[in-house]
Amino acid sequence: MNLLSVVVFLPVAGAVVAAFFPADEPGQHRALALVVSLATFFLSLGLWLGFATGPSAPEFQFETQLPWIASLGIGYHVGIDGVALLLVLLTTVLTPIVVLSTFNSVRERVKEFMIALLVLESAMIGTFAALDLVLFYVFWEGVLVPMYLLIGIWGSDNRLYATIKFFIYTFVASVLMLVAIIYVAAHAQGSFDYVKVRASLALTPTAERWVFLAFAVAFAVKVPMFPLHTWLPDAHTEAPTAGSVILAGVLLKMGTFGFFRYALPLFPVAALYYRPLIATLAVIGILYGALMCLVQKDMKRLVAYSSVSHMGFVMLGLMALTAEGLTGGVYQMLNHGVSTGALFLLVGLLYERRHTRAISEFGGVAKEVPWLATAFVVVTLSSIGLPGTNGFVGEFLVLSGTWLGRLEGYLLGHVVRAPWYAAFAALGVILGAVYMLLLVERVFFGPSRNPKNAQLPDLSLREWFVLVPLVLLIGVMGFSPQPFLAPLEQPTHRLLARFSAVEERLRKEDPSLSPATGTEPPAIALEGVR
Amino acid sequence: MNGTNYADLAALLPLALLVVGALTLLISEVFLTSGHRDYQVGLTVATAALAALAALTATPAGHVFGGMATVDAFSEFLTVTVCFGVALSALVAGPWLKERGAERGEFYALILFSASGMVLLASASDLLVAFIGIEVMSLATYALAAWMRRGRRPAEAAFKYFLLGAFSSALFIYGSALVYGATGTTLFAAIPHAAGALLAIGLGLVGAGLAFKVAAVPFHLWTPDVYEGAPTPVTAFMAAGVKAAAFAVLARLLVSVWAGPSAPGLGSGGVVTVLALLTMIFGNLLALPQRSVKRMLAYSSIAHAGYLLVGVVAAGAIGARPNGISSVLFYLVAYTATVIGAFAVVGILERRGTASEEPNDAWDLSRLSGLARRKPGLAFVMAVFMVSLAGIPPSAGFIAKLLIFKAAISAQAYGLAVVGVLTSALGAYYYLRVVVYMYMRAPEAEEAPAVATSLSVALVACALAVVVLGIGPEPVAALARAASSLMP
Repeated sequence: MNLLSVVVFLPVAGAVVAAFFPADEPGQHRALALVVSLATFFLSLGLWLGFATGPSAPEFQFETQLPWIASLGIGYHVGIDGVALLLVLLTTVLTPIVVLSTFNSVRERVKEFMIALLVLESAMIGTFAALDLVLFYVFWEGVLVPMYLLIGIWGSDNRLYATIKFFIYTFVASVLMLVAIIYVAAHAQGSFDYVKVRASLALTPTAERWVFLAFAVAFAVKVPMFPLHTWLPDAHTEAPTAGSVILAGVLLKMGTFGFFRYALPLFPVAALYYRPLIATLAVIGILYGALMCLVQKDMKRLVAYSSVSHMGFVMLGLMALTAEGLTGGVYQMLNHGVSTGALFLLVGLLYERRHTRAISEFGGVAKEVPWLATAFVVVTLSSIGLPGTNGFVGEFLVLSGTWLGRLEGYLLGHVVRAPWYAAFAALGVILGAVYMLLLVERVFFGPSRNPKNAQLPDLSLREWFVLVPLVLLIGVMGFSPQPFLAPLEQPTHRLLARFSAVEERLRKEDPSLSPATGTEPPAIALEGVR
Repeated sequence: MNGTNYADLAALLPLALLVVGALTLLISEVFLTSGHRDYQVGLTVATAALAALAALTATPAGHVFGGMATVDAFSEFLTVTVCFGVALSALVAGPWLKERGAERGEFYALILFSASGMVLLASASDLLVAFIGIEVMSLATYALAAWMRRGRRPAEAAFKYFLLGAFSSALFIYGSALVYGATGTTLFAAIPHAAGALLAIGLGLVGAGLAFKVAAVPFHLWTPDVYEGAPTPVTAFMAAGVKAAAFAVLARLLVSVWAGPSAPGLGSGGVVTVLALLTMIFGNLLALPQRSVKRMLAYSSIAHAGYLLVGVVAAGAIGARPNGISSVLFYLVAYTATVIGAFAVVGILERRGTASEEPNDAWDLSRLSGLARRKPGLAFVMAVFMVSLAGIPPSAGFIAKLLIFKAAISAQAYGLAVVGVLTSALGAYYYLRVVVYMYMRAPEAEEAPAVATSLSVALVACALAVVVLGIGPEPVAALARAASSLMP
């Protein structure tokens, strides 16, 4: 069996085993989930080591292609490109950390919790690995039910409202994508295979726009993009820590990954048409999310809104359609997964100690929990993109890629050029520093006003194991981004080549069109960053 | 037709087996003195299995009885589906009836008689044969619906079902008479060669009669009361079997109508489209506010009839016909497994009253509260059924919906597909509410309902079918595809 398929299905196999263990043995279930998720992680390292980069490497590696529902043209086709590889790794890194983090906080129905978590991991990895549209959809939807259970069973007070809202939002948006998938396959010789569809899809411009919209809305809800983000603050706030970490760390990336893998390459003409709109919404999301953060009283809600802002950067980078923008966008996906995941874990640790998430309840706790505070500060610096952390690399690439790109929008009859998008997005960076540093200041520093905060325990050994890998990743990805950037080179180049070919074709029909993708020469080449 | 053609009779072997099984049960009940009735479930299941086996192994005989019936892959596929439903329903019914002291051989005999009517309907290619099939099926189900007749609600349900069913039969037979007037024969095959207002009106009435049976909006008004009032295993059997049989004859009739270039073919596609839209939208909307799980499932069965109608509409386009028919067939199998399982769980959990006093909350959602703690296995299979009904992968319901919408898109019925997925998203809300109650609410009572062995067998079979059809649908999908080329 192919290594990638093993990585996809190992967690769910672990869940099946867990189903046979008795429910009143929580220790057994914790150990099993940890072992299975760690094994998945080590196997996924094999993917990384075996992955070939460079121009001669095949686009999709570790491919498996088997007939599944052959009479419908649906196959079991999996394979990963560089982007999918990194997102699979992100998933396999975060899951064992999440499992470890729940040893204290989840005490009820541990068996169901671990089963849901493992099923979720398989579905997430499968989403990134699928190369068949129906298979992709199955994994995409497969994520919903375990997440729905995680929020609904183990969430806080208002969990039912939050989980139903989460489910309905994402489900309604994705069923339209299902129709679009079937429509696309009907216009690609009846095959649902991604590679075949991409090669042979023939749509009229109008149809292409509708189909793009169906895909884009499904992805935009997941990202989430303004104004489709309203499920996110509720879901994050009510979810248990583990749910929030997975939600922010991986689930949101499924949306941006969907844009990168499906919406952009399959429907390039429509993507160019809607690009200014999406980029504008991304910038609005950046600013809106940041402004909302400034007024939050609940730590978790603040981090949730910061996700809206950060995911806006990812979308802006993708929409810039320059090498820097695309690379930065994908890199920012990883950063957000690591640093926001870590933030949710840290907020969870504070919550476990004080059973409140209200910022006003804290103040000056750095004296009590110096190591927790240190970790929080490091993660904060990464989140606001301080040079030397991973956040800087991503944000710099996104902003420079946007600035140098040929993105053009219209506002009240005026042409808005790319630098304006970059400038407003940069404002979001500044606001990001403001709200994150204010949070740190109000929670950890200043006078200790609340006597309840006296004698809070600092990190336990288990919590060290939870936090250290993420803090290390922040440093490594900040100081030496090259190993993470290398797999992204080919996918971004392929996407750009695809767009320039489409533009060339369009220019043949209408010579007055000016180029819209790529950078204006002379560009800051990617090499300049290295 | 001159003389008895034994080959023709042999083609109806599955039907004959079902009838023989029914008669055996009836007669054995006469001589029964001990009150040990455990063998009856087994005998029913064995009969159904034999009939299914006979249908599976027989080579399609084609037109029999002068073209009045057609035994082809399509009818054999549906025969097997119906037998599957019979076996599951019998397994569910056994413990349910025993608990209420209402187990009698006649019950299973009626189920088998009804199934014989369904099997006949699956191969009917003549209006009169279809009528006989409908009557055999319906008369037995009227009696089944009245099985617990001493209660107020079952009596009301049975009476309502009987009156409206008789009314729809009358429409059907009157329509048949008009069609006969226009074509000079009652064979489906003759319909496309005729034209005129008489034929159109006749077909409209026949169609209305069938729409009653499949519970398409606006012919659905009987469904919620009857489904709620009838004994739960009977409801399960009706939801699965009656629907499958009625869709079989509807599909065969419409495909015949659409085979020719004549005028009535043109209008009927539009009519079925409107029916499909109304049924999907109202079935789901009306299910939304229900607190009684049984009533919710009743409305949801209407909604599912809507999706099946989408498949039938798709079969109207020549290029999409195999897609349309095979999607309907697959959907029926998936729905049979799912809905019988769901009703079985409802039957286990229902609050029992006495004949004089029936609790109003017998099937209230709160009966499910905290089921995941009281009875984890039961809650899990119910969750599987709900996920399948909602059409969330990986479940039989998802693949079924995928096939239906794929057929609709290949027939270029984009509007139907879009409305279909949006209403199914609506459906997800009320199906998942069941999951919310089972998994996310504290139990109201600490009792853990007992599940009899035969019920466990049925539940496991249903859940396995749902999961297997969701993960590896290819064998059944290929069979459905092979069965989709209807004999003209």
